Amino acid sequence: MTTMVIKYVWEVPVRVAHWVNFLAIVILSVTGYYIGAPKTLGVDPSRFVMGWVRFIHFVAAYAFTVSVLSRIYWAFVGNSYSSWRAYVPWLTSEGRYRMLETFRYYTFMSRKVPHVTGHNALAGATYSLVYCLFLVQVATGFALYAEHAPASVMHKLTGWLFLLFSNQGMRLTHHLLMWLFVAFAIHHVYSAWLMDVKERGGVMSGIFGGYKSVPEKE
Amino acid sequence: MGKKRVGGKGDSTEQKIKRDFVERSIWEEKGISRRDFMKFCSAMSAALALPVTFAPRIAEALDQVKRPTLVWLEFQDCAGNTEALLRASSPTVTELVLDVLSIDYHETIMAAAGHQAEAALAKVLKEQKGKYIVVVEGSIPLKDNGVYCCIGGRSALDIAREVCGNAFATIAVGSCASFGGLPAAAPNPTGAVGVKEAVPNARVINLPGCPLNPDNLTATVVHYLTFNKLPTTDSLGRPLFAYGKRIHDACERRPHFDAGQYVESWGDHGHKKGFCLYKMGCKGPETFHNCPTQRYNEKTSWPVAAGHGCAGCSEPQFWDTMTPFYKRLPNVPGFGIESTADKIGAGIAVATAAAFAAHGVVSALRKGDDQSGKKED
Amino acid sequence: MDKIVIDPITRIEGHLRIEAAVEGGRVQDAWSSSTMFRGIEKILKTRDPRDAWYFTQRFCGVCTTVHSIASIRCVENALKIKIPANAELIRNIIIGIQNVQDHVIHFYHLHALDWVDITSALKADPAGTARLAASISDWPNNSATYFKAVQDKLQAFVNTGRLGPFANAYWGHPAYRLPPEANLLATAHYLEALDWQKEVIRIHAILGSKNPHPQTFLVGGMAIAIDPDSQTALNDQKLSEIRGLLKKAQQFVEKVYLPDLKAIASFYKEWAGIGGGVGNFLSYGEYPQDNSGKSEMLWMPRGIILNQDLSKLHPVDHLKISEYVDHSWYSYTDGPGKGLHPWSGETEARYTGPQPPYKELDTDHKYSWVKAPRYADKPMEVGPLARLLVAYAAGHKEVKAAVNGVLSDLKVGPEALFSTLGRTAARGIETLLITRELPKWLDQLVGNIAGGDLTIHNGEKWDPSSWHSDGKILDGYGWHEAPRGALGHWIRIKDKQILNYQAVVPSTWNASPRDAKGLRGPYEAALVGTPLADPTKPLEILRTIHSFDPCLACAVHVVDPDGSELVRVKVL
Repeated sequence: MTTMVIKYVWEVPVRVAHWVNFLAIVILSVTGYYIGAPKTLGVDPSRFVMGWVRFIHFVAAYAFTVSVLSRIYWAFVGNSYSSWRAYVPWLTSEGRYRMLETFRYYTFMSRKVPHVTGHNALAGATYSLVYCLFLVQVATGFALYAEHAPASVMHKLTGWLFLLFSNQGMRLTHHLLMWLFVAFAIHHVYSAWLMDVKERGGVMSGIFGGYKSVPEKE
Repeated sequence: MGKKRVGGKGDSTEQKIKRDFVERSIWEEKGISRRDFMKFCSAMSAALALPVTFAPRIAEALDQVKRPTLVWLEFQDCAGNTEALLRASSPTVTELVLDVLSIDYHETIMAAAGHQAEAALAKVLKEQKGKYIVVVEGSIPLKDNGVYCCIGGRSALDIAREVCGNAFATIAVGSCASFGGLPAAAPNPTGAVGVKEAVPNARVINLPGCPLNPDNLTATVVHYLTFNKLPTTDSLGRPLFAYGKRIHDACERRPHFDAGQYVESWGDHGHKKGFCLYKMGCKGPETFHNCPTQRYNEKTSWPVAAGHGCAGCSEPQFWDTMTPFYKRLPNVPGFGIESTADKIGAGIAVATAAAFAAHGVVSALRKGDDQSGKKED
Repeated sequence: MDKIVIDPITRIEGHLRIEAAVEGGRVQDAWSSSTMFRGIEKILKTRDPRDAWYFTQRFCGVCTTVHSIASIRCVENALKIKIPANAELIRNIIIGIQNVQDHVIHFYHLHALDWVDITSALKADPAGTARLAASISDWPNNSATYFKAVQDKLQAFVNTGRLGPFANAYWGHPAYRLPPEANLLATAHYLEALDWQKEVIRIHAILGSKNPHPQTFLVGGMAIAIDPDSQTALNDQKLSEIRGLLKKAQQFVEKVYLPDLKAIASFYKEWAGIGGGVGNFLSYGEYPQDNSGKSEMLWMPRGIILNQDLSKLHPVDHLKISEYVDHSWYSYTDGPGKGLHPWSGETEARYTGPQPPYKELDTDHKYSWVKAPRYADKPMEVGPLARLLVAYAAGHKEVKAAVNGVLSDLKVGPEALFSTLGRTAARGIETLLITRELPKWLDQLVGNIAGGDLTIHNGEKWDPSSWHSDGKILDGYGWHEAPRGALGHWIRIKDKQILNYQAVVPSTWNASPRDAKGLRGPYEAALVGTPLADPTKPLEILRTIHSFDPCLACAVHVVDPDGSELVRVKVL
């Protein structure tokens, strides 16, 4: 049996960004779903139901944006576990090998549990894809939001997106990405649980306290 | 014209006399009372989103201009914009024809026919080169050498190049002339495009809409007569005074949107009480147009006021991007007409959950994982 | 023989080209060609059938409601949807006022200048015009001062030296017969009608948001909610406004349009013997008097008349309709020589004409974008004349009385109806009858509302998931009598999507080129024998063509079958 030791892995900004993202995505998904397919909840016009839902959506959107950008910043100044290098494993041959190893484990082709202190290689690659989608979601969201003020700075910053999407196409993209994030969340929680059990590395508690247990160096 | 400031406090007596007496006589000679005329000018300044103090300036401009020449070309069209012109109220089409413009070519209303009609056009091209305004209605087919639209044996593209290329400015009326419109809808059988795409060197103002609101056309023409330049446009070539704001943001049903009150089915309580048409597929939230404020047919109504959602007709390629008209979001390419984005999205989420549940079961039952793997960090 | 080319034919909707062969001052043969193609039927494939009306409405912006009506009817027919009585009445009002407004615009703004010489109005004595006007109508604008003001306005316009749309016409042509006073009267009403039409068509805006292209049609009903207690629905205020506008419409038609029509016609009686055409007439019938969908409940009856024989009325069977493309720029999978029923119709463009710029079309082969529709292989004329003749043959009381009245006023017999003048007169008579019927539909609507029926839409089949077809194709057809005549849309729905969509429109019947057997279409047939006082100014051709109220995108040409050289009409 391998001896496990406790190690500080996830710094505060990483954990804060994670939980802000979590909360924001939940709020944005629920409010966003209502905005896309509302039910008549307002009894009289003074209720302002959609008004509040949109307000919450926009506030959560700002929080999410700041959180996502902070985490990207931290990828350049934080510890080695949070470094951008962990998210682009495909750039090195060793990284590519580890991605394959993890893939083989997940698909039951190998029985070797990939022990890592930070993210495993496949997870790192997935997160960089997810963050790219986060950025698309942020950009399309603000582009749609800015349409109420066509002369505004925000509209000028995001207007170029309409060269890539039709207005309705942008709405559809924004909408479908939400569902991808829901699917991702399911995958994310499950993988963390799996690794928690198999690695016995405290992945789940790590994101709360920052400490993970890792096999002792021999 | 244009530099001199008229109508403000600083008017000289001479200018005042000129306004009150000299100009009056010109218009009365044309059978229009000064009062009616000034009413029209005020309406025009409102339509152009200018302060009322501009009304005298517009009046002066119209008085001085000697009915500029306008020719109206019809290509792949339905004459809907011509009909819209016939419904214009300020000024009316009678006033436009007799007093404001010299409409020297317009297939649907002109008395001349055949070669004599074409001769009228040739005369304008020869005598008014670079000075006339051309209005284009309908798209221009580029496929197969342009055989899908020929007038007088010439292709629409050939005519457009000559007439628009030599004009002071081209006003593309309606969505077909602006962006290709219906003929350009998928699969665009005739290779139809808008004027700007067909004749890139022309100065084009786009007034999309299906059909356009005639008030926006008269306002554009008067803007040109008043300031001797074309109105400021957005990136799609649409004047800001008419397309600078989203329908959703000026809509009379907007309070119901914010309140969370929606029409759920045609003729229900909400429909009768004027609730928001968002759920019936209204495209107001993605459409820039002044319908809610300018309205149609002497400001009688507009689609949302009359109970039907906006179709997004002033946006490029709306026939493809805004359809289905009765759904909030477009169909997802590759899926059937009934699959909404939410069904597909929820499907993805459920499929993911199911896949991982299965994975979890297999993992739990699976023994003998090798825990001695090297730690990586 | 000489060829005359009029290109474009103006004062119509769209681009029409007619080529005609002329000899001895008469048209010997003619070819009608549409020179514009958009392929909307192709664009419609795979789309949501509930959206189709919005697309087809754009077939035409002049008769701007007709293709939406035919479209929703064909989808309702395919899905077996019964619409509420209120929706049927609102549709009747929309259709009715569309016909009235369209017919008046056609008479004054598209057709009148073939008969009225505006320049001659300048020479008129306004007092004489006033006397003439008073003798035919008690319309308030009948004073000498009024006509003097119109004349002055016209004079001031002419003095500017810029005639705009009135430049270069065939003014002074020997075929113009009206005295200056009558010309002034018609000119005054030309201007009055321009203001009138934009006013009465506000009914479309009240009921359907705007005109042209009202946005209010729904498969299963209409989109205007009814609620007398709501300011955002059809309420008493709006109904009263409609009533006022209907009254205005009726007064103008009774006191201006009809008297003018009869006055002008009395100077051109020889045109009751010119421009006969194919002699077969088709009407689908219109204005359902309830929502049962039965043909006997149509106010304007359905039927067919063959060979000008008013004693026999034949029933309409839509399966006997087929379209030929032997002289049209399309190809059929099964090759030429055969007609296809619209359900199996194809719209595969295959242009084989000359490359632009061209001077002549190859009229021996294919020469038009219009297909050749035939009923039991016979060409059919459609339009107000067809409707009135069918109603006349069916013994329709109001129609018989009105037609006989006008015929006796003009001192001509029923045979005069089969002519250029007959077509123009039929349009006026029909307008009068509709303006009298319109208030009745409004009364019925108000009665329903008073009785508490506020339904405007049947939503049972609104959601496509309720269209149970078990994988089968749902076929439907929708008929409508548009201002210009019988209009049919045919749809096939598969997997909730449009599999095939074909429209056989009035101008396809009338402007049809020759079919596989070489039979002429109605325009072509009507032009044969038309006298031309001056072949370089073919005003007479315009009269007959305009009497059909063409509505398509094309230009008219006149060609010689023997291939002799084309005479270019010289510019003034």
